[in-house]
Amino acid sequence: MVQGITEPLGSIYAPLMQVYGGQILAGISPGHGGQQLEGIPVFDLVEQALLSVGAVDTSVIFVPPYQVLDAALEAIAAGIRQLVLVTEGVPPMDMMRLCRVAEASETLVVGPNCPGIIVPGQILLGTHPAEFYTPGTVGLVSRCGTLTYEVARELSQAGFGQSIALGIGSDRIIGSTFQQWLQILDEDEQTEAIVLVGKIGSDSEEVAARYIIEAIDKPVVAYIAGRTLPQSQYTGHAGAVVSSQIAGLRDEIGTAESKIAALKQAKVPVAERPSQLPDLLKQVLKGSTRTSAKS
Amino acid sequence: MDLLEYQAKQLFHEMGIPVLPSQQINHPKDLKGLKIPYPVVLKSQVYTGGRGKAGGIRFVENTIDAVAAAQTIFNLPITGMYPAVLLAEAKYDADRELYLAVILDWSARRPLLLGSQRGGVDVEATIDTMQQVVVDQEFSPFYARRLALKMGLQGELIQSVSAIVEKMYQLFLQKDLDLVEINPLAVSSAGELMALDGKITANDDALGRHPDLATLQEKIPHQIKTKMLPRDLADTTLVELEGNIGILCNGAGLTMTTLDLVHKAGGRPASFLNLGSEYRHNNSPEVLRDRIQRGLELMMQSKNLKVVLVNTLGNVMLCRQTAEAIAIHLQHQAGSRVVPFVVRLVGDQFDEARQMLQALNLPLFHNLDEAIAEAISLSK
Repeated sequence: MVQGITEPLGSIYAPLMQVYGGQILAGISPGHGGQQLEGIPVFDLVEQALLSVGAVDTSVIFVPPYQVLDAALEAIAAGIRQLVLVTEGVPPMDMMRLCRVAEASETLVVGPNCPGIIVPGQILLGTHPAEFYTPGTVGLVSRCGTLTYEVARELSQAGFGQSIALGIGSDRIIGSTFQQWLQILDEDEQTEAIVLVGKIGSDSEEVAARYIIEAIDKPVVAYIAGRTLPQSQYTGHAGAVVSSQIAGLRDEIGTAESKIAALKQAKVPVAERPSQLPDLLKQVLKGSTRTSAKS
Repeated sequence: MDLLEYQAKQLFHEMGIPVLPSQQINHPKDLKGLKIPYPVVLKSQVYTGGRGKAGGIRFVENTIDAVAAAQTIFNLPITGMYPAVLLAEAKYDADRELYLAVILDWSARRPLLLGSQRGGVDVEATIDTMQQVVVDQEFSPFYARRLALKMGLQGELIQSVSAIVEKMYQLFLQKDLDLVEINPLAVSSAGELMALDGKITANDDALGRHPDLATLQEKIPHQIKTKMLPRDLADTTLVELEGNIGILCNGAGLTMTTLDLVHKAGGRPASFLNLGSEYRHNNSPEVLRDRIQRGLELMMQSKNLKVVLVNTLGNVMLCRQTAEAIAIHLQHQAGSRVVPFVVRLVGDQFDEARQMLQALNLPLFHNLDEAIAEAISLSK
């Protein structure tokens, strides 16, 4: 299902998703019920669509930022348990509320501010440009948007197709985390190795690195963007210092150095540039498990 | 968006959090019409901390002293910022000073209540004694009482401080804030509470649904705004550096990667511009092209600029709009200083964009490493 199918992004990507092979049963756009978009029937309300088309696995949401929470709650209320939020600019307060509801209802929420998920050759749930992806055995999980495309392109050109590729979202509060996807990819039979793409800011990569040590058996390689980004001009007042420290973001956390150190501690090789990722994959795939591959 | 102290206190007052009588001073002569009885505190209204130590807070006993002190404070830069406004406030005798805050815990994806019995200027002491309570479900006042007890408060202070925390939380929720802080919250010898200083950070993504907060920024006299760009250009902010390669990309991760690769290959970026991700719900071809063009104009203002490296990746409309914007830009620039472009465009509409740019004799690349090598060789 596509919510916000008549919005600018929805009307561009719903047909592309349809063409790629996913079965788009319905589009939602209040006030446009009864219309069709490239053969996809449009409904005013999610529950109304489900009565007509039957059960839906996933909803991809393209509505404007301040309507994302409502659209997601509507989908969850109708029983849909996988959501992809593409829209950028969802207020954190809305995401906090959505995360609470998603946890209680065991709904998987990807995003917001993300390109969604692609299973190359099979299904597209989001905005990934299909041309950069090829089917294969590398799981790609990223906190970036266009950089995910860049990495997929490098992998595909080097002969490393992807089992699943996704961007979990660039915002500070997102639904599903690196850990959740590392676990999914670790259990996925199609996936032989995992590429993790991160960037500076937040503690996502540090937490992911700790999780890799604890729970991930498959080989992981990584790339971190932002090693040379100039220090922010922002002069923190006492409150900012206090709040970032208390929130676990001590000064040194969130920098490229901290992320790379954490990943190295987890024996995850970190590429100097995206084009180096295929070489690292070749190295780690020589051994069958993470621990034996990177001593 | 950070609010100034006097703006934060206005919100505190509306929420029923006690603040002292105060008056906004836009010019030293405003003090002649002061309605608050002396002694009075004059406080520089700047966004940074440490203004007390920098001399931005002064106690005055009469009008003559007040005007002189105001002149001094108006001319005192604090970490490079001059105040456009001072706050004149009644003096308060605090018996103790507490710290309270409500923030977003980004990792836990929950609000966090913070409190310490050691508020005031000694940030280290505050941090060392900081207590926290995660609001993991729907807020209810017991979360605030839990914080008060963790802070070690006793007797009537448990209820009175909790009541303040509850109001801070309501403000946090109603106004979509990233941070609400009271430091210090003064406790008088009679046990009364008073918010002596406050800090509020509004969430930028939510400003669109809080017009009252968004207009606060406009109300600040303009000398305090340094290089503030209109909201629709927020992502088109040019970050200026020391080198001579201008970098234009779409998406934060890709922009950072391009900068990293240029540095690594021995190049020095002059500036970089992130056109933003493609997940804005209202991106139209016209808006996108306009942003690229305005970004290029900003970039060209640097005198050191020797080459522009464009690295955009995506599908649908992006490549064509980038090519069109570059073409229009070069037409406008015809006759004036010509800065060479190195363009890497990868996407569905690459062929069309390629033809457009080939007509302008621009070197086009598929491979990022090669495009960077070319840009660096042109910058030498």
